[in-house]
Amino acid sequence: MKWSFVPRGSKPVYITVNADEGEPGTFKDHFLMREDPHRLIEGLIIAGWALGARNAYIYVRGEFLPAIEALTEAIREAYKAKLLGKNIGGTKYSLDIAVHRGAGAYVCGEETALINSLEGQKGQPRLKPPFPAVNGVWNMPTCVNNVETIMALPWILENGPEEYQKLGTPKAGGTKVFCVSGDVKKRGVYEARLGIPLMELLESEEYCGGIVGNLKGCIPGGSSTQVLTAEECKKANMDYESLASMGTMFGSGAIMPFNDTHSVVEMLNTLGKFYSHESCGQCTPCREGTGYVQRIISCIANGKGKDGDIELLDSLCTGFTGTTVCPLAAALGAPVQSYIQKFRSEFEDAILKNPEHATPRLSENYRPQGWWE
Amino acid sequence: MKEPSVVTITVDNKEVQVPGDTNLIEALKAVGLETPHLCYHPDLPVSGNCRQCMVEVDGPRGMVLTIGCYTPVRPGMKVATSASSPKVAEARKAVLEFLLVNHPLDCPICDKAGECLLQENYMMAGASDSRLSPEIGKQYHGNPEHSSSDSKGQHRGGKRVDIGPRIVLDEERCIQCSRCVRFMRHVAGDEQLQLASRGGHSHITTFPGEKLDHPYDRCVTDICPVGALTDKSFRFRKRVWALSRIPTVSMDDSLGANIWVDYADGIIYRIMPRCNPEVNKSWLSNAARDVVQNIHENRLLNNDLSAALQIIKETKGKIAIVLGGSCTAEDIAAFKKFNIAEFFGGSFLPVQKADGIARSGDPVANRACLEKAGINTNLGELSKRAGEFELLITVAADLWDETPEEAGDLNKIPKRIALTSFNNNTAKNSAIAIGIRHWLENFGTMINSKGLEQKLQGTPTKEAALVDSAAIIAGRLHG
Repeated sequence: MKWSFVPRGSKPVYITVNADEGEPGTFKDHFLMREDPHRLIEGLIIAGWALGARNAYIYVRGEFLPAIEALTEAIREAYKAKLLGKNIGGTKYSLDIAVHRGAGAYVCGEETALINSLEGQKGQPRLKPPFPAVNGVWNMPTCVNNVETIMALPWILENGPEEYQKLGTPKAGGTKVFCVSGDVKKRGVYEARLGIPLMELLESEEYCGGIVGNLKGCIPGGSSTQVLTAEECKKANMDYESLASMGTMFGSGAIMPFNDTHSVVEMLNTLGKFYSHESCGQCTPCREGTGYVQRIISCIANGKGKDGDIELLDSLCTGFTGTTVCPLAAALGAPVQSYIQKFRSEFEDAILKNPEHATPRLSENYRPQGWWE
Repeated sequence: MKEPSVVTITVDNKEVQVPGDTNLIEALKAVGLETPHLCYHPDLPVSGNCRQCMVEVDGPRGMVLTIGCYTPVRPGMKVATSASSPKVAEARKAVLEFLLVNHPLDCPICDKAGECLLQENYMMAGASDSRLSPEIGKQYHGNPEHSSSDSKGQHRGGKRVDIGPRIVLDEERCIQCSRCVRFMRHVAGDEQLQLASRGGHSHITTFPGEKLDHPYDRCVTDICPVGALTDKSFRFRKRVWALSRIPTVSMDDSLGANIWVDYADGIIYRIMPRCNPEVNKSWLSNAARDVVQNIHENRLLNNDLSAALQIIKETKGKIAIVLGGSCTAEDIAAFKKFNIAEFFGGSFLPVQKADGIARSGDPVANRACLEKAGINTNLGELSKRAGEFELLITVAADLWDETPEEAGDLNKIPKRIALTSFNNNTAKNSAIAIGIRHWLENFGTMINSKGLEQKLQGTPTKEAALVDSAAIIAGRLHG
C-alpha cells in the first residue's frame, strides 16, 4: 500500500528503514537488528529492487549501540560477499546501504522528522502534504518502512504471500512481533500470529507464562495507546480491528500489563515527563501543552491536586487532537484521557490526599502580583 | 502581471468568490474574514507551527481540522471557520491557551502592546478566563543562560537579552513562531538567528559568540508577532496606540520603499515598512529607518528669504541650481521656472548594487523625475565647470556633508545659497542657508527605480510648521 504512492522512473527513489524505536515499552526492532541483521539487509535488497532504489538508509536510534555494531558488521560482510554495492550477485541491480545514527529523539520516529534528521536538519516533522512517498529524503520520493516490515519480506518471498496471509486474521494477514514488558513472568520479544487473544499471549507457557499479581490493566501497543482495563484485556484480540473497536490502537506491539501494585497516577506522571521532554518544540499545542499537562499530573501525583484538575486535563488533551503537525501531543492526550476515563477513582483519591483540594487555585479575585501593586 | 484566477468556494455554508492561487488565510481575508494567525506572514515561506489559523476543510474523511496557511484554495472546497463550526472555535481557543501558558503577560510594559498579534487573537479567538496558577503554569524553560526563578517559584526567561547592536530579545515573550528565523534565512539570506533546543526548552538565539547584525535586522522587530524582539531605538519611547500613522514613500533610496511614519505631537518616533508587493514587500532597510534618528535635531529653521533675493538680484553671471535626490516632482517643476539658471541634479555618492530586498542602491531617490525634467544628473560636470558660475543654489542637496572632497570643487563658485533641512556643513559652507522641509514632511510625487509613480505625504512635525517646502520657497524666490 505504502509503496504504491512512490512514483516510478522520473526521480531517484530512496528507501529508508525506520529503526528509531523510541516508544516506551518497545524494544523489538533493537532485538531484531541485533540478532538478525542479515535478514534486514536481505529485506532491504528486496524492497530496494521492487522500488528501484539505488540507495537505502537505516536510521537507527543512537542509543542502540549493539544493534548498530551488528548492522555495520553485517553490511560489511554483505559488501564483501558482493551482495551489496554494484551489480549485486552479478545482476544489473545495485544498492548501497548507509546506517545513520540518530541522536535519540523520540519524534524522529515520525517519518518526516526522521527524514529531516537524516538530511542533517533539526528533527522536526514536516508539514504534510507532500508525503515522503512523493517528496522525502533530499526532496526525492522516499519509502519509509519499519524494521519489522522489511524483515518480513524474505520470508514472504520464499513462502508466498498466501502462506503469510493465512497466519493472521482475514483482514490483516501475517505475524507480528510483540514485545512484552511489565508484570509478566517471561518478558521479551515474541512473534505471534495477528489476532491472537491478548490473554493467550500473556498467560500461555509458550509466550509470557502468566501474570505476576492481579492484572489491573494493560497498555496494548506502546505507551501512546489507550489503556485497557483487566476486563477489556480478556476480550481483546491482538489485531487492528479488534483493538480499534475497543477504542485503542495496535500501535507498535509493545504490550505492558501492570498489576494492582502500580499507581496509575504515577504511571501517567512518568509518561507525561517522557512526552513533555520529547516534544520537538515546533508547534504550539505540543511545545506548551505537554509541559502544562505534565505539571498538572505531577501536581496530582504529589498530593497537590485540586478539584477540577481532572476536567482541566481532559479538556487540554482534547485540544491536542487535530491541532498539531505530528501525533506526538495526541500520543500523550490519548493515554491521559483513557487513564482518566478508566481509572478515574484513583485520580480522585490522589486529589483527595490534598487537604486543600476544594479551594480553587485561582480565586475569583485573583490578580497576578506585579510591579504595580 | 497575470490576471488572478477567481474560484468559488463555500465558506460557512455561503458561496463566495475568492482568488484561486493562494492559501485559505489570504482567500478568507479577500472576502473580509480574518483568520487569527501568528507564524504566517505573506512574504515569508509557510512554516505552519503556531497552529492558530485552524479551519475545517472537507476531505475524503469528512470535515477535518487543518491550518489555513498551508491549505491551498481549490475550486468547490467547503470551509468552516469559527463562525459556523464550534470545533474550529474550540481548537483555536485551545491553541491560544497553550500559547499563553508560558507567555509572561507583561503587556503593560511591553512595547508591542497595541499592535501584538497575540493580543488581537486573544480578543478574536480566546477571551476566556485563565486556568493557570503559579504551580502548574508559567514554567518557562528556554535559554538556560538567562533563566531565573521569581519570588513565586516560577521559571522566567531572559527579559533583555542583547542579541545585537539594534535588537533586544525578551526570551519569555517569544512564542517560537520562527518568523524571524525564516526572515533571516529566506529574505536576508544570512542565517544569524536559530531556534535552539527542543520542546518547552526551545528558544531563539544567535550562534555562540555572534550577534544579530545585518542591514535588515530591524525587520525582525516588525514581523515579531509579540514583543520578543524589540528595536533599541524605539524601546519604551512611546505606546503604539498614542502614535498616528502617515503613509508615505521613503526618499532615502530610489526604490522608494513604502513606509508608515509613526508620529505623535509633532515628533516622529519610527518608520515602519508599508507592505507593497511590487516595491519593498514588507521589508525596510535599517538605513531607511535611521533617517528619523536625528530628524528633530540640528534643524535649520531660517525662512527669511530677503538676503537670498538680494543676492539673486545682484547676480549678473551664470546661476547653477543643484536639486537633491529627495526633491519631489513638484519641487523640481517649481525650480525649473528659474529659466535663467542651469540645472544639475543628484549627488556625488556612488550608485551601488541593488540588494534585492528593499534597496535599489541609488542614493538619488527621484532620479527618474530629474531625468524626465531634462536635468543633468552628472555633478562631475558641474565640478569641472565650477569656474563658469557666479551663484550656486543647492536644494536638499547636502553635498558638503555627503561627499566633502568632491564638493570641494564647488567652493570655486563665489556665491552660494543652500536650501537644506539641517544646520549642517552645507549650510555652514554657504553664504545663506534657508530651512526647508525634510522629505518626511513633504507632499509630492516621486518615480521610483522601477518606474512606479508614488505619492509622498508629509508628516506634521513641529519643524514642518516653521519652514516651507522647497517648492514654495522656489515660488517665493522667483517672485
